[in-house]
Amino acid sequence: MALVEDHPPLELGSGAATVSKPLGVFARPTATHGWKSWLFTVDHKKIGIMYGVAAFFFLLVGGSEALLIRTQLAVPGAKLLSADVYNQVFTMHGVTMIFLAVMPMQSAFANYLLPLQIGARDVAFPRMNALSLWIWLSGAIFFNTSWFLGGGANGGWFNYAPNSGVTFSPGHGIDFYAVGLIIMGIGSTVSAINLTVTVLNMRSPGMTLMRMPVFTWMAFVTQVLLVFALPVITVALFLLMFDRLFDATFFDASKGGDPFLWQNLFWIFGHPEVYIMILPSFGIVSEIIPVFSRKPIFGYPFMVGSGIAIGFMGWGVWAHHMFASGIGTLSVLAFSLATMFIAVPTGVKILNWMATMYGGRIRLSTPMLFSIGLVAMFTIGGLSGVTHAFAPADAQQTDTYYIVAHFHYVLFGGALLGLFGGMYFWWPKMFGHFLNEKMGKWNFWIMLVGFNLTFGPMHILGLQGMMRRTYTYTEGQGFNFWNLIATIGAFTIAVSLILFMVNVALSYRRHKANPVDPGPDPWDARSPEWMIPSPAPEHNFDELPVVEEVDEFWHRKYGHDENGRLVRIARTEDVVQKGDATDVHLPSPSYWPLVMACGFPFVGYGLIFNYWWLVPGVLLIILGIFGWVFEPSTDPSAGHHHDDDYPTDDRPDAVDGSEDAPTDAEAGDGEVDGSSDDADERTLEPAMASTEETTVG
Amino acid sequence: MRNKRNAAIAGIVSLVVMTICLWLIVRNIGDPAMPLNTLAPAGKQNWEIFNLVKPVFFIAGLVFLAVEAGVIWMAVRFKRNKDDVDGVGEPTQTHGNTTLEIGWTLVPALVLAILAVFNVKTVLEIEKSENPIEVRVIGQQWWWEYRYDTNNDGTVDIITATQVVVPVGRDVKMKLQSNDVIHSFWIPAINGKLDAVPGRTHTLIMTADKPGIYQGQCTEYCGLSHGVMRMELKALPPAEFDKWVDAMTSVPDQPTDPKAIAGQELFVSQCARCHQVDGLTPESSPPFKYSKLPDPEYGQTVDSTLTSKNAPNLTHLMMRQTFAGSLLPLYQGKAAESVTAVPDGVPDRSNLKDWLRDPESVKPMNPENNQGMPNLQLSETQIDQLVAYLVTLK
Repeated sequence: MALVEDHPPLELGSGAATVSKPLGVFARPTATHGWKSWLFTVDHKKIGIMYGVAAFFFLLVGGSEALLIRTQLAVPGAKLLSADVYNQVFTMHGVTMIFLAVMPMQSAFANYLLPLQIGARDVAFPRMNALSLWIWLSGAIFFNTSWFLGGGANGGWFNYAPNSGVTFSPGHGIDFYAVGLIIMGIGSTVSAINLTVTVLNMRSPGMTLMRMPVFTWMAFVTQVLLVFALPVITVALFLLMFDRLFDATFFDASKGGDPFLWQNLFWIFGHPEVYIMILPSFGIVSEIIPVFSRKPIFGYPFMVGSGIAIGFMGWGVWAHHMFASGIGTLSVLAFSLATMFIAVPTGVKILNWMATMYGGRIRLSTPMLFSIGLVAMFTIGGLSGVTHAFAPADAQQTDTYYIVAHFHYVLFGGALLGLFGGMYFWWPKMFGHFLNEKMGKWNFWIMLVGFNLTFGPMHILGLQGMMRRTYTYTEGQGFNFWNLIATIGAFTIAVSLILFMVNVALSYRRHKANPVDPGPDPWDARSPEWMIPSPAPEHNFDELPVVEEVDEFWHRKYGHDENGRLVRIARTEDVVQKGDATDVHLPSPSYWPLVMACGFPFVGYGLIFNYWWLVPGVLLIILGIFGWVFEPSTDPSAGHHHDDDYPTDDRPDAVDGSEDAPTDAEAGDGEVDGSSDDADERTLEPAMASTEETTVG
Repeated sequence: MRNKRNAAIAGIVSLVVMTICLWLIVRNIGDPAMPLNTLAPAGKQNWEIFNLVKPVFFIAGLVFLAVEAGVIWMAVRFKRNKDDVDGVGEPTQTHGNTTLEIGWTLVPALVLAILAVFNVKTVLEIEKSENPIEVRVIGQQWWWEYRYDTNNDGTVDIITATQVVVPVGRDVKMKLQSNDVIHSFWIPAINGKLDAVPGRTHTLIMTADKPGIYQGQCTEYCGLSHGVMRMELKALPPAEFDKWVDAMTSVPDQPTDPKAIAGQELFVSQCARCHQVDGLTPESSPPFKYSKLPDPEYGQTVDSTLTSKNAPNLTHLMMRQTFAGSLLPLYQGKAAESVTAVPDGVPDRSNLKDWLRDPESVKPMNPENNQGMPNLQLSETQIDQLVAYLVTLK
């Protein structure tokens, strides 16, 4: 793609800083260690890790809610939770797992890996990246404070109108749902635009779209889906908020509104959302399986194409969530047929993963186990999905535990297993040490067994008529046995999660006591992030990799003999980077994304409880914008060694064509100035010292 | 090749084990003793659905076995051996195979295209009806009301709740509506579910094969008590159904027992604001006047503060076999399940008493927000009198 080679890498803008001691504004933060370096960072890697930590925390919150649900349903007629509390718990479980655990965990990987995989130094808009993290987190915390302010949302994650109206749900839970999700949606939208731009504009020289790693592709499709899907849910949530807080009647049939308006808007978002949650994990296993099979991904264009196809088709099937809603025969038929055929690209992915494994030399390390687990488990979710693409079958199955089983096989067996595989795979890259392999395997097997014990029986329960969202069941209904098994399974999953945390803690302690450098490329991997030291240095690449083909890094290490068999052509040590460059421009940290994000919960409380709370909220947001706009660029006296950004002559593996890169980059400098967020940049070490003087206060 | 043999063993063993597991599950899955089982059809529509899903489940099962056994076989067959050295005898670097990939794109698409024909056929088939009787089904938090116009004169002549009664073998056109939030009407043995949405009327056809009482459950989340919002469909042979209609359209006898008479007075002062017994009106309205017809607007024109504007019509309470959203039996023992036009048995007074004493403890409700029945703080004597009256309503 000409687009790429012609385009300068944006992150090398020089940042024409002219003011060293600006009047009336804070200088930028300078901490490189400690909590301040995290709170004010704009580094995509730190932001990614924070996304991951927060998402894991909420995974535990949502998991605890799941355990409450399963304990209540372990035996018929249990009284652990009242109907009221149970309804809150399952609603909060769903919303938490989707918006606060799985999506942000994928943001974690996308944030951390996208720039590394496309050979960039950061995302396109680093401060906006920090902003999206903090807004999402402020929304997530805001949403969960509802537990302490009158009770959580209790309308189900889908929150159908008119039950979500004030008449039927007079508490504040659903207000928190509406406002909380709007706030989180702002963060996610910002992030999605940011990452879309990053992938489109910041790829390193030679990295055409069809040379991008599959994870990047899938995460990119996800971001595009988010860009289009989030506005739809935001509109729906605004209407809901207006209905609830300002007596509007968008969904009130008795006043001319339409409950179907909510359903359509919700699922037009809600179905792409399913693919938003699953595609990044598809990307993760598409990275892991080739590495551990020592074969390239089978049918790269088909893998990419099926991902894009899923992304497109995902927009045309939303009403299959409404087969029982009464949308009319023609709509049912149209959406039923469309839904059946979305199974095709998904099936292609499964078969291509298997074909990748076929004939390989498979190392069954933990990341690979989780990936094979995804292939095996997601298949079940996909097949059960096909069974209710048949509308008449769905009329029996929908809103029963069969559906609960189906989407847990997709979201847990698919998304979450992929994410755990990803954590084991990229842990050395992120933290500079391995997770313990033995415990990892235990982690996998216990999770796999627990998962199947929990959700497998739900297929049976659903077909035998156990409905969803029920706080209890009675003796004569025949649901006792499998419910008890499912509860045992849920606690087994809890054990595996605890084991994961123990593994993280122990591996860290062992690493501290006896550091062993995993090296840049511990798995003998294929994509560019493995060319740099572990953990990834702040500036990512000493020099941006010039890409000639898919799996560029692999091909710098290996060639083929005449039989197409692998032959090593270079030692890994010779083709990786040292990570010791000191003259790389990086965007400066900033206070303002955090300040601005802190305003949003106050706005939320203001809308729900007392308008006076709006005052501090709006002031914080305005302050954040003000500080953001007027915040100084960095010290102009800090060394900007423009000419050194692209060393051209000392690349050991320099290949023909790579010479073009520096010219491009230099030509690009001028264009970039001031045009993006990272116009404000400074060098690493020297600048740190010199800017300290300019700090106000 | 050690791997080859192990892989073959692993593949075959996993195939056998999974097949046995599937078989064990499938063998009993359609147990008709389970009241909500979707795989035990007792109605024309569910037979259609059942015949559609059988081959779908079968094909899905085969694909499941093939993929799972295939994955396991590959993981063993191509496992790296301990003595393998990186860079020596590495796998052939296959980048793809376009023919193969187009193949496994087209073959599933073709299989699905064939199945799609049956899908369309079934969708159309289960919406057909011939000479149906019509029942208006109205969902409310958290019970169902049924309205019949048995003589087709355009006026409602039966209003009942909880248990809908239909003749066997006759298509029944359920006109689904809702008084408050979205509910879903579902009698799994007969047909799939369909939502009752405020402001809309949806049509669901149900045709019972054989006499019986079939249980159902609201399946669209409808708030606090959704989990126990149940209903029943009683299918009677046509002659029995006619008997049922006769009984339901007759004026119930006035109570004669003094306790029941006291109960009736209590009913008028305490219950009639929300509950209708045809002809009885609350104290504030004109005195007793019996009319044969139920008042379909009841509750909406009377002083009702309920969000659903209505509570179950109790004129022929004891013609049903359960109450409180089909949660509790009205009769003791087998009489609660007998498939006859007029239930015959000993009323379960203790259930009614528990309910009157504290309805919220029996079924979650939220009377503070006008959802469900409030606790009327009745004395034990009053409860006795009310129950004595209620069991006369047949």
